Amino acid sequence: MSTAAADLRPLERPRYRLTPATTLLTLAIIVAAVVAAFPLAWMILTSLKTPQETMQVPPVWLPGSPNLDAYTQVADVVELGRSFLNSAIIALVTTTAIIVTSLMAGYAFAKYRFRHRELLFAALIATMFLPPIVTLIPLYRITGYLGLNGSLAGVLVPNLANAFGIFLMRQFIKDVPDELIEAARVDGASELRILFQIVAPAVAPAIAALTLFAFVYHWNSYLWPLTVLQGNSDAYPIVISLSRLLSYNRGAMNTGLVMAGATLAVLPPVLLFVILQRFFVDSIVSSGVKG
Amino acid sequence: MQFNQHRSAFVMLGPATALLGVFIIVPMLLTVGLSFTKWSTQTGFDTAQFIGIQNFIDIFGNTSIGRDFKAALINTGLYTFASVVVLLPLSVLLGLLVHQTLAPGGVFLRTVLFSTYMVPMIAVALVFSKLYSPTEGPLNQILGWAGIPPQTWLSAPQTALGSIVILNVWQQVGYFTVLAVAGLTQIPASLYEAAKIDGASAVQRFFSVTLPLLGNTLLFSAVIAIINAVQVFEPVALITQGGPVNATNVLTYHIRRVGIERGQGGLGSAMAVTLMLALVIAIAALFAFARSREKSA
Repeated sequence: MSTAAADLRPLERPRYRLTPATTLLTLAIIVAAVVAAFPLAWMILTSLKTPQETMQVPPVWLPGSPNLDAYTQVADVVELGRSFLNSAIIALVTTTAIIVTSLMAGYAFAKYRFRHRELLFAALIATMFLPPIVTLIPLYRITGYLGLNGSLAGVLVPNLANAFGIFLMRQFIKDVPDELIEAARVDGASELRILFQIVAPAVAPAIAALTLFAFVYHWNSYLWPLTVLQGNSDAYPIVISLSRLLSYNRGAMNTGLVMAGATLAVLPPVLLFVILQRFFVDSIVSSGVKG
Repeated sequence: MQFNQHRSAFVMLGPATALLGVFIIVPMLLTVGLSFTKWSTQTGFDTAQFIGIQNFIDIFGNTSIGRDFKAALINTGLYTFASVVVLLPLSVLLGLLVHQTLAPGGVFLRTVLFSTYMVPMIAVALVFSKLYSPTEGPLNQILGWAGIPPQTWLSAPQTALGSIVILNVWQQVGYFTVLAVAGLTQIPASLYEAAKIDGASAVQRFFSVTLPLLGNTLLFSAVIAIINAVQVFEPVALITQGGPVNATNVLTYHIRRVGIERGQGGLGSAMAVTLMLALVIAIAALFAFARSREKSA
């Protein structure tokens, strides 16, 4: 795990010599980065344009006098604050719950021996590969039985555990020395206390990775909230409010507004990524290579 | 106090097992069961009437139900195939750029590529719907500078599905690049040294050392890319609604429309089961292909 992470970055800053190959590679990297960044750059630039500029043919690339009007107006069109709060609740509650349930299950799979352990592990991990649409129709009825349809709880409750989280935690908790756990047991610590006070700190990088994964996944999630909320706009997360901005835009033709909304929705997951990216990349590497 | 491992295991596994059981495994089994019934999604499971394989006959028949479903199945297949065929080579190419140490900027490129993977698909769809705009969009403008005639992108049946593939590739390629880099770091430098001593050129080294040793990484990437691709929903729901003329009607969109919006739960479940089987077959075929390549190599 840590070796794979270290391999991703050169240990010491290499000195680059100016050769045709180096020049060509540098150019290729610049081109790839520009192409990758272009849609997001266009989004931000358009959000700063005047409504007239967004409609010009051929399109203008840079706003003549950059202004934040679109950002102040977008809040009048959809309940932006409410949607942000809903998204934050969805992402934070699911992420916290996923970390707790994954730590517990991952610990049991890594450190306990019990009958049918591998079978149960395989059954739970298999759910990771199931496209959500396969379970969507009965799930919608089950949450209906539970009285959750149309509410924020309906978005949250089916997403409090996650197979990838269990897998990730088991991989990392395996490497925590048994002696550490045994010593705590001898001291009379309960298993939950051992898990949260000794094991969890030892796998902090994996928890950071899972935090990012779960937060981004549930902040961005669209299919399930759209289905379970049944048009209750009070509970809409930001991605659904954004999608409604487009239908508003069809009438009003204010692309700047849509791009301002999109920029705001993109910020939390991308910022979290920039902060935690090292752990996320490491965890993907370990899930792919060790998997 | 003696530590009771069985009771502890029960406590530790309880929450995750119960949640995944109730909200994923049970619904999956219900999907299979309901696919053999006539059932309205708006009513309880007890109202489902067993009708054998009638739903499957209908979705593969020649009525409008069958025609729409088969079109969605084919569209999803094409979309998935195109996504994988573009994503994998591109991820290896970009992986080489990130991994190499001759020129600076590899890690920076990785960050840029990966941050697109964090962007909500809804925002991606919104931005691309503007980029693709035939008159006000910058893409046709850029093509114009290169002397290429303007494209129809999302507005014509011939180009709409391909346009969504491009959007998907843009969003996902960073993830697969990171996987490719992970695969590249596993290849021992001594193999390159040996090939170099044997006088192999950079291109020869790529095809004789790099590509064969990336086999497992590429297999894993292909499986994930397939599973991701069949989930395409947001761009279709938001921009094209399956059109123009059904050209972008894909399975996740179609199954939701039938099973949730029209409330035909039994029929939608039969479509979902077919998707699941198609996925299993595609992945099994992929593994068989990988194994046959291994043997012949």
